Amino acid sequence: MNTVAIASSELRDLYARESARIQQEFSSGGEGSVAVARRTAVVESILLRLWSEIISADLEGPEDFALVATGGFGRGWLFPHSDIDLLFLHSAGGSEEALKDSIRRFSQELWDLRLKLSPATRTLAECERFDPGNVEFAISLLDCRYLAGDRDLFSRLREKAVPRLVSRECQNLIQNLGEITRSRHHKFGNTVFHLEPNVKDGPGGLRDYNVAYWLALISAMEKLRMWPDPKTLLPVSSRRALDAALDFQMSTRCFLHFRHGRHDNTLTWEAQDEAALRKIGASDTEIANAADWMRLYFGHARAVHRVSAQLLEEIPAAWSSVYRQFQSWRSRVSTPDFSVVDGMIFVQKPDSLQDPEMLLRLFHFMAEQGLKLSTTTEYKIEQVLPSLASTPPRGAELWLYLQETLAQPHAADALRAMNALRLLPLLLPELKGIEALVVRDFYHRYTVDEHSFLAIEHLHRLKESKTEWDRRFAGLLEELEQPALLYLALLLHDSGKAAPGENHVDASLQFTETCADRLDLDPADRETVRYLVQSHLEMSAAMRRDVFDPANVKSFAEKVGVPERLKMLCLLTYADIKAVNPEAMTPWKADSLWQLYIASANYLNRSADERLHADDNNSTLAHLRSLAPVAGKKINNFLEGLPQRYLRMHGVSDVLAHAEMAAQLGNDSVQLSLKQVRHWYELTLITTDRPFLFASVSGALAAWGMNIVKANAFSNGAGVVVDTFFFTDRFRTLELNIPEWERLKQSIAAVITGKADVSRMLQDRLRSEKTNGTKVRVATQIEFDDACSAHSTLLQVLTQDRPGLLYKMCSQISKQGCNIEIALIETEGQMAIDVLYLTANGAKLGPERQAALDRALRDGLDPKATH
Amino acid sequence: MTKVEAIIQVSKLDVVKDALHEIGVEGMTVFEARGHGRQKGHTEFYRGREYTVDLIPKVKLEIVLADDMVEKVVKAITTASRTGKIGDGKIFLSRIDDAIRIRNEERGDGAL
Repeated sequence: MNTVAIASSELRDLYARESARIQQEFSSGGEGSVAVARRTAVVESILLRLWSEIISADLEGPEDFALVATGGFGRGWLFPHSDIDLLFLHSAGGSEEALKDSIRRFSQELWDLRLKLSPATRTLAECERFDPGNVEFAISLLDCRYLAGDRDLFSRLREKAVPRLVSRECQNLIQNLGEITRSRHHKFGNTVFHLEPNVKDGPGGLRDYNVAYWLALISAMEKLRMWPDPKTLLPVSSRRALDAALDFQMSTRCFLHFRHGRHDNTLTWEAQDEAALRKIGASDTEIANAADWMRLYFGHARAVHRVSAQLLEEIPAAWSSVYRQFQSWRSRVSTPDFSVVDGMIFVQKPDSLQDPEMLLRLFHFMAEQGLKLSTTTEYKIEQVLPSLASTPPRGAELWLYLQETLAQPHAADALRAMNALRLLPLLLPELKGIEALVVRDFYHRYTVDEHSFLAIEHLHRLKESKTEWDRRFAGLLEELEQPALLYLALLLHDSGKAAPGENHVDASLQFTETCADRLDLDPADRETVRYLVQSHLEMSAAMRRDVFDPANVKSFAEKVGVPERLKMLCLLTYADIKAVNPEAMTPWKADSLWQLYIASANYLNRSADERLHADDNNSTLAHLRSLAPVAGKKINNFLEGLPQRYLRMHGVSDVLAHAEMAAQLGNDSVQLSLKQVRHWYELTLITTDRPFLFASVSGALAAWGMNIVKANAFSNGAGVVVDTFFFTDRFRTLELNIPEWERLKQSIAAVITGKADVSRMLQDRLRSEKTNGTKVRVATQIEFDDACSAHSTLLQVLTQDRPGLLYKMCSQISKQGCNIEIALIETEGQMAIDVLYLTANGAKLGPERQAALDRALRDGLDPKATH
Repeated sequence: MTKVEAIIQVSKLDVVKDALHEIGVEGMTVFEARGHGRQKGHTEFYRGREYTVDLIPKVKLEIVLADDMVEKVVKAITTASRTGKIGDGKIFLSRIDDAIRIRNEERGDGAL
């Protein structure tokens, strides 16, 4: 038996014995950092022994040939099943052939020992050459460490070749490292918060720690032209958090390697349970269950990810001229409160963050501009949080900032930053339970908080998406009156997942109530958010039934009730599914969701005239009677015969006010109420029905320069009409002249009672207005439907929106002897979408009248149309 | 061994799954599918635009079974998914040569 064979057998025993001892020590509560250092030392001793047996009895020989540890081995981080990165370094091109046999034998022995070797053989000159196809090799040299052979050769590599390579190729190295890292992050959905994270390659994993170190090292070497002190490389402010994260992750990765018996870095659910039980990396911490342990994991991963992302952003800035230009352009968005340097936000007066309003404005700025917070800004925020915790902002002020932040394009990133800094759970404690919460199911890929942020992000991304499905849903999003309520509902929809029990919806609903109290939400807004949270699974459930079945559509649409809620629920469902995992929203599901949406939207428009009766068993009616027991008769009289749609569109307080106005008709035959609601005005008219009524009011508003964006008209069994017009004030007449509010009401009353001529008023207005060229031409489409209502004929008109349109259309309808029973008027961009339920002499419109009305409308609305 | 491929209505998936579990079938693969047989497409108008669905959403189940289970499974699927209308779907049966459980390389009926 030759000496190498004897050595092999000894080394195999040594390796097995030492590996078992390392595992034993780790299992008895040892630390990962100790285990990797010990494995490194064991492997190193084996290599040296083989070197002396195969290459040179003198460990510092032969000349011009050296054995170098690179990559993880070079760093001294040999995890239990990590590969061993080795470089066989020689001085010149000719020596490779002579060394080939020795290198082969050396490697063969290591493989026979079942060590996984990743060897490379290079000359010194080759090491100094940058290969864009193998950036990893250049990066691995940053951790090079001498093992055996020619010390002088190794010195030339470390002290000259590598610093020269880094100085010369700094920009390429950083750019490539950035690309490799971004592509790796992309594979993991760009988030730390996976239910089963990969502790090495996932965002915030050990690889990110290395990336942060390499970026800082390359940057420092370029400046110094030599090796810097490694202890000074990473940002001082983050060093403590990074050291703790590194210890924890090293222990976790060792645990996984030992547990799986192979190079597998996935923190599976079973592994999480065991890690929590054994308190891996957290012997001094109170750990009740796997969720607690995972929160620790995510906390450390978040710290690593934060620093690596920051360095990835900051360091290329110093090199790329395009990047600098872009950042210089971004720095122009600086404000008197916040300055922007290299894409990072700094606070001009750091003490100003003591003011909660400034803090909220900071995150609004972040959400608006898509920028990151600088380390110093984050540090300042962390400092002010304890004082903020005693009296956190709440009520209308908090909601004002929150809703504006939620509506900004980068809202999800701002929410993530608020969450990472613990500001979000401080402002909205309802979200505390879902922070980094792992809920195990086979579909979700992310923690509950990240799922919610991602859902919000998907909605914002709709605007820039070019896919067919996204464009359709993006159109719906643009039509929403209050998108912030949808975003708030998305933030809260799974907030109950931390609560025990199977049904998280009830718990989420409770959190929604307390959150609505905290934000002092307007009752109608509270009801909308509450509805969305409560119903967030309804549309998915309806999709599992037949989306083409009219009974399924009817049942679902009736539960939703009004088109605005349908749009919100549809978008919530879309975002919720899409944020489950990257593959969850298949074209199949998007198609089903869209079909269900349009079928339900059509149903809602075509079933609006089901009438209410005072003795109906309706929860809203019961609620109304309980609120106003004395006024019960008054309310019953008013509601009798109104369409059920009326109750779905108006809240309880509106109904009570309308009933009171109706009761006053004996004193004044025209009851008007005008108020400003959000970004538009709302005019409510209650009077007895008469010809040309809806047309006259539309005309009067148009004559005042108001742009009607939405309207609805209903009438009860006694012929009392409730018309509501929502309009914008194009010339700011009402905003700038308070007395004009009263004059507008008087003017409308005069038109209704015949004391003023609306057509003359309108002519004056239209004459004084220039006709602006429209960007989008909308062809007029007119459709009659006799089947959808038992009492009326439905008319749907789609046409180009323009001043006075509603007046023109409704005048034609009245001229043809038709009565408007119900009107549902909407605008979508330049398109007016008007649905009217019409009768003539108390019955549906006959074919001749429909044909005549069709002709009249086409003539009036679209003069260029041929017929 | 036989492979059962059943194309059924989306709304029938849950009841079919339950019916199969009742007769002892635990494993199945479900695909989102689209298609039509004699049942034609569907057209809906929304805001003046026509949305036509030529291929109706369906789900496809695939189950590989020991031969003695096939008739029971076919019966369970047909009973659970039948509405009597066009569009209820189809079941296809085909022979399978062998099955291998990846975890332990067990073969034949034992691997199912």
